[in-house]
Amino acid sequence: MRPFDYVRATDTEQAVAVVSADPHASFLAGGTTQLDLMKDGVLGPERLIDITRLPLGGITHTDSAIQVGALTTMEELAADPVVRERLPFVREALLLGASTQLRNMATIGGNLLQRARCRYFRDPTVAACNKRNPGSGCAAITGIQRMHAILGTSDHCIALHASDVAVPLVALDAIVHVQGANGTRSIPLTQFYLPPGDTPHIENVLQHGELITALEIPLLPETARSHYLKVRDRVSYEFALTSAGVALVIEDGLIQEVRVALGGVGTIPWRAWDAEDVLRGARAGADSFRAAAEAALEGARPLPGTAFKVELAKRTLVRTLETVAGAAS
Amino acid sequence: MTTLETGTVVGAGLDRVDAPLKVTGSAQYPNDFSFPAMAHAALVGSTIAAGRIRSIDVTRAWAAPGVLAVVTHLNAPKLERGPMTLLGGSPPAPLQDDRILHYGQHIGIVVAESAEQARHAARLVRVEYEPAEALLDVNDPRAEIVENPWGLDTERGDVTAGFAQADVVVDETYTTPDNTNNPLGLMATVAYWHGDALTVHDSTQWPHNVRTSLAGIFKVPESGVRVLAPFVGGGFGAGLRVWSHVILTVLAAREVGRPVKLVLTRPEMFTSVGHRPNSVQQIKIGATRDGDLVAIEHHGISSVAMEDDDYEPVSFGSAVSYACPNVLTRDRQARLNIPCPGSMRAPAEGQGNFALESALDEVAHAIGMDPLEIRLRNYAEENPILGLPWSSKALRECFVEGAERFGWSRRTPEPGSMRDGRWIVGYGLAGVSYPFYQVPCQARASVRHDGSAYVRSAATDIGTGTYTVMTQLAAELLGVDVARVRFDLGDSDMPYAPQAGGSGLTGALGNAVHAACRRLVREFLDVVRDDAGSPLHGAALDDVTVTDGRIHRIGDPAQGETYTEILTRHGIEELSADGRSTPPQSEELGMALSGAFGAKFVEVRLDPELGLLRVARVVSVIDGGRILNEKTATSQIIGGTVGGISQAMFEETATDQGTGRIANATFGDYLMPVNADVPDMEVLFVGGPDRATAVGTKGVGEVGLVGLAAAIGNAVFHATGRRIRSLPITIDRLML
Repeated sequence: MRPFDYVRATDTEQAVAVVSADPHASFLAGGTTQLDLMKDGVLGPERLIDITRLPLGGITHTDSAIQVGALTTMEELAADPVVRERLPFVREALLLGASTQLRNMATIGGNLLQRARCRYFRDPTVAACNKRNPGSGCAAITGIQRMHAILGTSDHCIALHASDVAVPLVALDAIVHVQGANGTRSIPLTQFYLPPGDTPHIENVLQHGELITALEIPLLPETARSHYLKVRDRVSYEFALTSAGVALVIEDGLIQEVRVALGGVGTIPWRAWDAEDVLRGARAGADSFRAAAEAALEGARPLPGTAFKVELAKRTLVRTLETVAGAAS
Repeated sequence: MTTLETGTVVGAGLDRVDAPLKVTGSAQYPNDFSFPAMAHAALVGSTIAAGRIRSIDVTRAWAAPGVLAVVTHLNAPKLERGPMTLLGGSPPAPLQDDRILHYGQHIGIVVAESAEQARHAARLVRVEYEPAEALLDVNDPRAEIVENPWGLDTERGDVTAGFAQADVVVDETYTTPDNTNNPLGLMATVAYWHGDALTVHDSTQWPHNVRTSLAGIFKVPESGVRVLAPFVGGGFGAGLRVWSHVILTVLAAREVGRPVKLVLTRPEMFTSVGHRPNSVQQIKIGATRDGDLVAIEHHGISSVAMEDDDYEPVSFGSAVSYACPNVLTRDRQARLNIPCPGSMRAPAEGQGNFALESALDEVAHAIGMDPLEIRLRNYAEENPILGLPWSSKALRECFVEGAERFGWSRRTPEPGSMRDGRWIVGYGLAGVSYPFYQVPCQARASVRHDGSAYVRSAATDIGTGTYTVMTQLAAELLGVDVARVRFDLGDSDMPYAPQAGGSGLTGALGNAVHAACRRLVREFLDVVRDDAGSPLHGAALDDVTVTDGRIHRIGDPAQGETYTEILTRHGIEELSADGRSTPPQSEELGMALSGAFGAKFVEVRLDPELGLLRVARVVSVIDGGRILNEKTATSQIIGGTVGGISQAMFEETATDQGTGRIANATFGDYLMPVNADVPDMEVLFVGGPDRATAVGTKGVGEVGLVGLAAAIGNAVFHATGRRIRSLPITIDRLML
């Protein structure tokens, strides 16, 4: 590991100022991604600003939303009674991610910023990685592709965004609150992530030094039902091959409200707007579910190693819709 | 040979004697050792698979903080290649030239004050290569082919004539991928020199081999080399050889004149300590409509490194598993630019059994016969190659008892005919005939004046329970309470022991311990031979037995005395005796030496839309000869079963074409089952002590793994009608 300085921040504004002023400084929260990447030689910050003592934890509730401090751990958020009752698919997604030990360390702010799990990105001996080394190429496109994305890819990067919880969060139109050197701003999560395009090294709209301070999650209507389904090779402790987060309000067999997002397939957490358009106002049933799945995957650009994911993602979405509709009817 | 009689200590499910040390953290594993002034090393690995090093620039590495030495092929001393061993030649000595033979080949070692400094500096070594095209595919026609590498190709009868008699012929290609043995404990070496004397703590499964090899490689007297491995964090075959990193650590310690520690990283484990090589197997089985096997032809090809050996006769098992008059087996290896493969738990059998037992299932289906019936119908009552009766074989009991326990009769034969809600249910089974393996071994036994016993041998306990079962065996043979017996291992200064491998250590070591303990009792009788005051005077070994720390005449417990009484009266501190075992020979015994046998029954659940496969339960019935400890033996089968599930459904070392880089060399990316993937596993032992040796064990370290891949594949076929002939069986191959 490269030598680096470690600073424990005591003041949010000051922490933001320090990182903003130093292009070689990074924030450190739970460290479950940052430290791995440093040990593997992928990231080499010269200064780490530990923000874990800043007052950015805690969950507060209003009638329409919950406000989650950025340092809230995944386990803490999963245990929140309002999440449990009103946002079950957020809880399911949280608890299907990582392991208990990691969820006790990992923060929600860090989870949103987790880096790609791509083994070509995470191995600095691989020369070609546009995300790690802009302009160097993409070894994954001609490599082992199975765990990579099929939606939102480009000729420059096919790395998956592997967060589970970000899937229901984009479905819910969660809002990211950030603090920068020039003040605060709020960014809808659906506009937070950037597909790779020809700049895969730029993964979101944050400026260097901007710090996520909180996440605002709108609540679902009380009549809504939701579910997160994760399909993977083993039962636990693995990233998704495909996943789906779905929330529905169904009245008299007709879908009144719908939120659909997909995981395991996108370079960013994938809001399936087209699927929602198909479902909104439609009769809940096999035909509309399959049509929604077809719409959701219409733009898929699979490679030979990911071809199976197109159909698997459709079936995953159909199964999730069936499960939610079954619970709602 | 005096056979071990059935006792009370041997066989019982005694808790592991080393468990308290392990659970309290006081057992010291190789990477737990630290010494004053110890330095730390990190490796530089090649990032191409074939070619030459054009230049190597260590300037920045040398300038990094804490660096003590940087050794590459430019400044490395000449090293001899290690000796021939029981497992073939030694791996090539590192840093001897500029050639690159595989990705991850060690091309340098950096020594620094701390492990972090060493790793940082290792990353600063700049290498320019002159790459050549790498051969990476076992089917590559340019690859050099080694024919019949172990002289184990077999032929009996006339397969052409046999197939001509067949009503049904199954002729298919089965493939198995590279798998990597991943003991939880990262392989570690700590080495220090005092002049020409060398002490090495190493994650080895074979201390004597490390001693002999290092003495030869560094040209120092073997008597001055000591290798210690009292505890290792698992092995699965990764510790069977003296790998490059061990040699480099010893080299580094000599360079800096200080103790040096090297711990491999997990990615380095994938390129440095062997792996199960991939295989392509063509298997052809002919049968009559009545289910008689009339011909078997099995051709296997495996990958092997450019300049190394590996023992993987994948087709050999097909020659000995069933009674069939016409059988031909052929094995070949293709030399590729890959890291050296090596024995991984159940080498060869793990791959070959998948093809044989799956293809047999295909035959059974083709003729409409129950898969259990076809196996019993073609049961090999004698060894089909030697034509001799087995020294022990209870495979029939394995099948019959297993079918009963499992409820095989509930199986409806039509694929897809059993359901549980959304899940399709499949039943599958496979048989296992594991080969016999044993090599010479020695042990030394002592009884001290306080009546306690001390037995030792330079073996290793890689988690199998060697400490425990040898303690039990010695307690039984000396008549000393287990709490008063200490068994030690893992030190090359102790009597010679072979590797913990081939399911052969318990047999070899057990029989050596048996010989040492019996000889020790005789030593006591010798002491009192002319002692008129002893009730044992003049007694021969066959006249006496041992219980409660005493030797007494058989049938007359009063006529005896304790070890302590004898030693005290004669003013002796302790008595010791050496024992050795040599493998029995089939021809001399008139019996075919038998390994373990087993039958595996598996129930799977399959969600056909999502391709989700779950193993619901496994019943393993094993003939392991004498079981020394029911608890640790059961653990061996359970662990093997998990390994078999892993082989069947999860493990696949993925290699990037072109560069030969391992693409999934982490525990996040290289999958093996987590607890949630592991079902209820029932284990049952049948049969009795094997007749070929005194102790009568057959070794249960590997038989647990074999058969799971075929049984799971067969269960998947029963559930879906789809035959998966390529491992692992994953979602993308199962979506219907």
